[in-house]
Amino acid sequence: MKKHLRELIESLIFVSLEPLSLEEIKSVLQEFEKEEIEQAIKDLLESYVSNERGIQITLSGGGYFFSTKPEFDMWIRRFLKTAKKSRLSRAALETLSAIAYNQPITLAETSTLRGVDSTHTMKVLLQKKLVKIMGRKKVPGRPLIYRTSDKFLTYFGLNSLQDLPSQEEISKFLEEKEFGE
Amino acid sequence: MEEARSYQVKLESFEGPLDLLLFLIRKKKIDIHDIPIATITKDYLEYLNQKEKINLDREAEFLLIATLLIYIKSQVLLPRGKPEEEEDPRQILVDRLIDYQKIKAISALLRDKEEEELKRWKRSAPPSPLLQEEIELEEVSLFDLAESFFLLMKRKELENTHIIKGKEYSIEEKMKEILSILKDVAYLDFFDYFCRQKSLQESLVSFFSLLELIKARIVIATQEKVFHSIKVWLRNPSQVEIIV
Repeated sequence: MKKHLRELIESLIFVSLEPLSLEEIKSVLQEFEKEEIEQAIKDLLESYVSNERGIQITLSGGGYFFSTKPEFDMWIRRFLKTAKKSRLSRAALETLSAIAYNQPITLAETSTLRGVDSTHTMKVLLQKKLVKIMGRKKVPGRPLIYRTSDKFLTYFGLNSLQDLPSQEEISKFLEEKEFGE
Repeated sequence: MEEARSYQVKLESFEGPLDLLLFLIRKKKIDIHDIPIATITKDYLEYLNQKEKINLDREAEFLLIATLLIYIKSQVLLPRGKPEEEEDPRQILVDRLIDYQKIKAISALLRDKEEEELKRWKRSAPPSPLLQEEIELEEVSLFDLAESFFLLMKRKELENTHIIKGKEYSIEEKMKEILSILKDVAYLDFFDYFCRQKSLQESLVSFFSLLELIKARIVIATQEKVFHSIKVWLRNPSQVEIIV
């Protein structure tokens, strides 16, 4: 079976409806060494990169899952008869950015950062489960504190918060923008 | 201020007052750390004046920043003791603008990621475990089952006016019975089956057997619509030989 570990993991990812985490894979494959499993996953991902395939295995939000390549979007939508998926509003995206880089954060702090009252936007983000309430801050009024959720990571194709654009990327973006204008 | 007029932008197109301020600063190609506060305040107020009526709900935030600008302007005008030691009154605004500018940059970077991700399609539904020609069925919850059971029990109760001690039933036997029925037919109609039970005790035992079978993941109970009859299927028809 050792020989087929790579294919075995592939089949687990295939049947899983949620992104499949490394921990879950390990707990199912008790017979195998942790190192073996990790190596097999690495091999599996590599085999998908090198082979010319329509689907890929992606690691995001802490789990592995199959997805199509972005360049086939148009035809897949035609086949599924669906319109383009709707994007987040500017306000929602801005609020998420403020939360992601300053979490845990209260609603008032978010509003101050944006200079705009964010009550409504926060409600929308909670409904979409892109942010979650983590408790209350120990300051007068005991305001709720918010964090980004795992769904937030998957939504933007990030594996962890470390994959968010780095300070260098942000500075580079700002510089380029200034030159562009 | 000819410049500002030749380039009309509506207030609504800004995400907030900081967005508007950044726009004004960038338009004039001013260094964000060294804002000519008088000019910028004038530009900013001019934008607000373009609106004939101020909608307090939406634009209170714009007014808030206007007051901050005027406050800073007044501080700059006032003579200060030792300029080196004192903090630049513009600093509060500069800090906020820099933070906001960063958030805007992050938003733009995340937007790119969002666009890319939205084009990736993921598997979202499990392949149906049931026969293809069947209409969409929903798996019933324990509560649906229990509700149907109580309904049937009520019917049985009415019939059960005299009690004669009958046969003893065991869950194991009943489970075997249900499975052997399922071996021959595609599915078992839950209502029919209960109506065939002879006594209250037998009904009870068969209901528990059914729950056992569901728990053991040997059978699956489905329902086309709420209040419709519940159908019991074998989860894996090939397995049944081993169990029976």
